[in-house]
Amino acid sequence: MQPAIDVQGLYKSFRTGYFKPPKEVLQGIDLEVAHGAIFGILGPNAAGKTTFISILTTLLLPDRGRATVLGLDTVAEAARLRERINLAASNAHFLWCLTVEETLRFYGRLYGLGGRVLAGKVEELLELFGLTSHRRTTFESLSTGLKQRLALAKTLINTPELLFLDEPTSGLDPEMSEHIRSEIARLNRETGLTILLTTHNLREAEELCSEVAFLKGGRMAATGSIPDLQSRLGLGDHLSLVYKSGVPPLDFQRLPGVLSCEVRDSEVQLVLDRAEVRLAPLLEIITRQSPDPPEVRVKEADLEELYRELTH
Amino acid sequence: MNLPTDINKIWAFASRSLLVNRRNVFAIFEMLFWPGISIFSVGLLTKFLKLDEATVTFVLIGTIGMNTIQIAQLDLSYALLYDVWSKSLRHKFIAPIHLSHLLVGTGLVGLMRGFLVFVIMGLLCMWLFGMDLGRPGLTGLSMFLAGMFLNAAILGILVVALVLRFGQRAEVAAWAFSYLLFLLCGLYYPVTILPPGIKEMAQLIPLTYFLDYFRHFYGFPLLSAHPLLFGFSQSVIYLGLCYLFLHSTLNTALRRGTILRLSE
Repeated sequence: MQPAIDVQGLYKSFRTGYFKPPKEVLQGIDLEVAHGAIFGILGPNAAGKTTFISILTTLLLPDRGRATVLGLDTVAEAARLRERINLAASNAHFLWCLTVEETLRFYGRLYGLGGRVLAGKVEELLELFGLTSHRRTTFESLSTGLKQRLALAKTLINTPELLFLDEPTSGLDPEMSEHIRSEIARLNRETGLTILLTTHNLREAEELCSEVAFLKGGRMAATGSIPDLQSRLGLGDHLSLVYKSGVPPLDFQRLPGVLSCEVRDSEVQLVLDRAEVRLAPLLEIITRQSPDPPEVRVKEADLEELYRELTH
Repeated sequence: MNLPTDINKIWAFASRSLLVNRRNVFAIFEMLFWPGISIFSVGLLTKFLKLDEATVTFVLIGTIGMNTIQIAQLDLSYALLYDVWSKSLRHKFIAPIHLSHLLVGTGLVGLMRGFLVFVIMGLLCMWLFGMDLGRPGLTGLSMFLAGMFLNAAILGILVVALVLRFGQRAEVAAWAFSYLLFLLCGLYYPVTILPPGIKEMAQLIPLTYFLDYFRHFYGFPLLSAHPLLFGFSQSVIYLGLCYLFLHSTLNTALRRGTILRLSE
């Protein structure tokens, strides 16, 4: 099956002045995103995340390379593609003097909707995002959280097959961020909608994304599921075994799931690929081999570690 | 092409323009205040100078023409500026729309507002200064109005293109450009008094011919043998050129990332 997003050798540069050399923002990006996935693009500021998402959403033309979204070329078939995708950017911005309902109606009409179909869709989205009681409130009078909810509601006005979310919880308080995250997860779960999101928030990526890609300096530093990446980079969960009567003569490095091992005095430091799966059988082997059960401490690997490793 | 879908897209821009105008007290203000000020100041000046009735009409036609064009081109000019000001430009261009939807939708509202201003100014001129606005007849009035709306469309599309190319600061340049056109087209004077060289430039402005056409109903000699032919053909050519310019500006904006920059 053709992937939802297929990017091959994508390059983009911008001129920063008439006499200055162009700034290379994307330098040969390759990426595949499967249908129905929530895919996260992570990276520091100026890594090229927004540029990348803008090319995929037809708002920017690449210098070289090819990007197809839902089987359509983002340059040659941009008009057809626009009918099937939508975008919510960080910090929702819409025309200040239109109400919530008018904003949704305006964007619905831009997608060719009208009459009862449009009215029904607007009602459905107002209900879905808890905006019914704010339908007559102008955009400028909405709170930041409500603005972001409206932005998400607007992305569904054309019933897209693929949604692009550019830092969807940026600038929101933790409670609202959590709410928006659960909305995104629910949309993906209930409708099978493919979602590509960029984020700075590692917890968000960990919570939502089945796969992530790290962008650094316009290049794709790594792509895969979070556990796979951790495993590839040896960044698994940390398991510490402290023995009272010395470390038993056991080849810890060869135990299943152990990525690395370090023995110091009476303490063994192990890095496991997935502690939640590996821990129980591992402890069974260890206690079977040694009459003196060790004190066990587990520190789960986090995305922050992965992020540091890949982007610095 | 899918007609109902296209109509909905055009209506999106028209209805938004109508809503913004309804909510914005200054939109109503600019429809009444500036045209009113123009008519009063120019009309009273003609009285002070003790101009004859025909000359007063000549000058007032220029005033009506200028204000009608200024108001009619506003909605088109603001078509992108509202999105730039509200930083929502990218949402417009991610939708499956064509430039024609944007231009027709906002242009229709501009046309409606321009027509209202024309009627208000015409009534004021008739009531305060005794101008006989009905003398050219329905055909004469319709041709003059059509000419002004075409000129307004040319200006409006030019502003849209300049905004897409240079951002909101282009608005000032657009206003300056429209006043330059008014200076050259013989708004308050016949183009025959313009200095050599500039007089020829006036022949390249369609509004020159529409003013010439409308004034001849009030006894002023035609300066061109076929003012409507020249006026309409030039307008169509300029409209086409402006549309091509806008199209190429949009492509440049997509290449340079202007749409993203204007959305931040």
